[in-house]
Amino acid sequence: MNRRTAIRNLALVIGGAALLPACTEHNPIVHYKHFDISLDQQTLITDMAETIIPKTNTPGATDLNLYSFIIKMLDDCTTKKDQQAFLKGMGEFNEVPKKLFNKSFADCSKKEKEDVLKTFEKKGNNYSKDQLAFYNTVKGLTVFGYTESKYFMTKEVVYELVPGRYNAYYPVKN
Amino acid sequence: MNSFREGIMPITRLKIEGLKMANLNIDSAKERTFDAIVIGSGMSGGWAAKELTGKGLKTLMLERGRDVKHIKDYPTTNLYPWEFEHRGEMPMDVQEANPIINRCYAFKEDAAHFFVKDHEHPYVQEKPFDWIRGYQVGGKSLMWARQTQRWSDFDFEGPARDGFAVDWPIRYKDIAPWYSYVEKFAGISGNKDGLAELPDGEFLPAFPLNAVEDYFSKHVKESYKNRHVISARCAHLSKPNPIHLEQGRAQCQERTLCQRGCPFGGYFSANSSTIPWALKSGNLTLRPFSVVQSIIYDENKGKATGVRVIDTNTKETIDYYARIIFVNAAALNTNLVLLNSTSHRFPNGLGNDSGVLGKYVAFHNYSAHIGAEYDGFKEWKTDGRNPAGGGYMPRFRNVYKQETDFLRGYASGFGAYRGYKHSHEGVGSEFKEGLAGKELGPWRVGSHMMGETIPKESNFVSLDANKKDAWGIPQLKISIDYDDNDEKMKKDYLEQLKEMFTSAGFTNIKAESNHQAPGLDIHEMGGARMGNDPKTSILNKWNQVHACKNVFVTDGASMTSTSCQNPSLTYMAFTARAADYAVSEMQKGNI
Repeated sequence: MNRRTAIRNLALVIGGAALLPACTEHNPIVHYKHFDISLDQQTLITDMAETIIPKTNTPGATDLNLYSFIIKMLDDCTTKKDQQAFLKGMGEFNEVPKKLFNKSFADCSKKEKEDVLKTFEKKGNNYSKDQLAFYNTVKGLTVFGYTESKYFMTKEVVYELVPGRYNAYYPVKN
Repeated sequence: MNSFREGIMPITRLKIEGLKMANLNIDSAKERTFDAIVIGSGMSGGWAAKELTGKGLKTLMLERGRDVKHIKDYPTTNLYPWEFEHRGEMPMDVQEANPIINRCYAFKEDAAHFFVKDHEHPYVQEKPFDWIRGYQVGGKSLMWARQTQRWSDFDFEGPARDGFAVDWPIRYKDIAPWYSYVEKFAGISGNKDGLAELPDGEFLPAFPLNAVEDYFSKHVKESYKNRHVISARCAHLSKPNPIHLEQGRAQCQERTLCQRGCPFGGYFSANSSTIPWALKSGNLTLRPFSVVQSIIYDENKGKATGVRVIDTNTKETIDYYARIIFVNAAALNTNLVLLNSTSHRFPNGLGNDSGVLGKYVAFHNYSAHIGAEYDGFKEWKTDGRNPAGGGYMPRFRNVYKQETDFLRGYASGFGAYRGYKHSHEGVGSEFKEGLAGKELGPWRVGSHMMGETIPKESNFVSLDANKKDAWGIPQLKISIDYDDNDEKMKKDYLEQLKEMFTSAGFTNIKAESNHQAPGLDIHEMGGARMGNDPKTSILNKWNQVHACKNVFVTDGASMTSTSCQNPSLTYMAFTARAADYAVSEMQKGNI
């Protein structure tokens, strides 16, 4: 995501719910109810979500604005303790791409980003509890937001508000 | 009057106003007088109102909470999952501020507005008790789980046979026609299974069992004597009759979003069924925002004359009068109202000569469940959603004779479902595609325990001596706990289900005890129990207060024992029966 788009999205996210950003010169900060998120952090979470659910011939995480959903759920529906772990883990996150590719996540290629995230799901990695908490929260909320999005529930797996039927024996077509 | 100078006006006005007031009081008392008052507007209160208004009685229905009009006041009923701000989850500040109600399975973003928040109506827990309440017109009938199994003589004869509580003053034959009566109107789907322990009723077509439920049903029947897995009977219009259409209700659309309120009226609630029916009679006055402080007892007349109400908006105290009073405030609040209705004649609560009021409260033990997988029937899945939730296994323990080291038994829910296989591992386009994958996973099965508990004197509710609610009414103090019998029964449930699951070839069996507090079953009963003897019970066989004949209690408070079947249908039947009796007694001039 380029910087201009990121700032525009940030403004969209702020909506009215969050307070105005405290504009430092290069890394504006948005105050949410329970924590602050800087532009760099927003970019990180957005990039992670897009890596998990990328744009293909169907919409990806950025198209579906899953960043906003992740932050809303983190702010509204998560315990203080889990928020703290998330923030701490986020601060330690870039240690991983630094070690693997000697660059920050933002500077990684698409393939490298995928590789970075996959290491979090490898058994026996020695990541800190907070790093894992951060990753698992971003992953979980990205998937939750995607599978409960209007796009997914109307185009991928059609959710029926009014099924009007229950077939107890329904043959599986092979 | 305009010509009066200020100085003399107050006295003159006082006199005039005084005269006016006297007349007003007479007029106003007339306006506040009805043939019948029903306290509560939920499952049983709705039935009381329907029956009494149907018999021509001018009836006042009091509801402590707000009005909830059918359809109009179901704000979430047609929302898609993505239209909920948190996709159904409750905000953490609400969860943390409301630990009790947050434990209720239905306290989610789509129905939370129908549940009482902890801080709104505090109560005193001498022992942990999750008191789940719905303070609005319709009460909990809006959000209930809609299971409607009849009770049998194995239930009504239970206390006498097994030597606990007191003998029920009725038998199945007394209530059977009233079951039929309410079933026809409410609309109950089910099969005629021909089981003595779970009598058949007036059924609309059942929701069928699926492949694995069917298989388990056949397996259990072949392998065990007197064990049956049937299609759960539930209050859904699988195929409405004219009487249901006349209520403005339509066929159940298998949405299974019932806790939001149903725009089709596909399941039974007071809001969709009994209350609009009662209103249509022209005989019902519905008064929401009316907390009942007490029932007014007239020492000279030797009967109740009305109900003292506090308007929750104005905080004004208002008395309403009637010839008969039905108490349907929901089990524990009915106890509270009776306990708080003190007089010279009844210093310990209305009708409480025996001293048992508030005692012998019991509930259902829902504290165990079991899950597993089944590697078979790969050629089948289900399509659509099943409002009945699947199967139901009636009590098989200690039915015909005592056979275990615990009293009574349990019913078991049983359901099977098959979902798609989705890997939660990985990232990227392949992972993304997998989330919409149509590869089916194995069948999963599950069961939950519904155990009868034994009413005991030591399980009771009382009024707190110091703490009051926002209207100056004493808070309810709850002292209810499990006992050794419950633990033994739970152990047996887990063993028996594990054995049945294993012999059916289910794998990966996980049995769990969840240690939930009493109350979370939302089946609390008793405290103003029925019985033959006024020395040991509050109500007679007509749900009529022994010592105050024009007061009837027909909600969960009246239950002598709990059976292990879901109780709502039984409350409905008792209510219709009691209303019929009350009106006939009025006509005879007895009350």
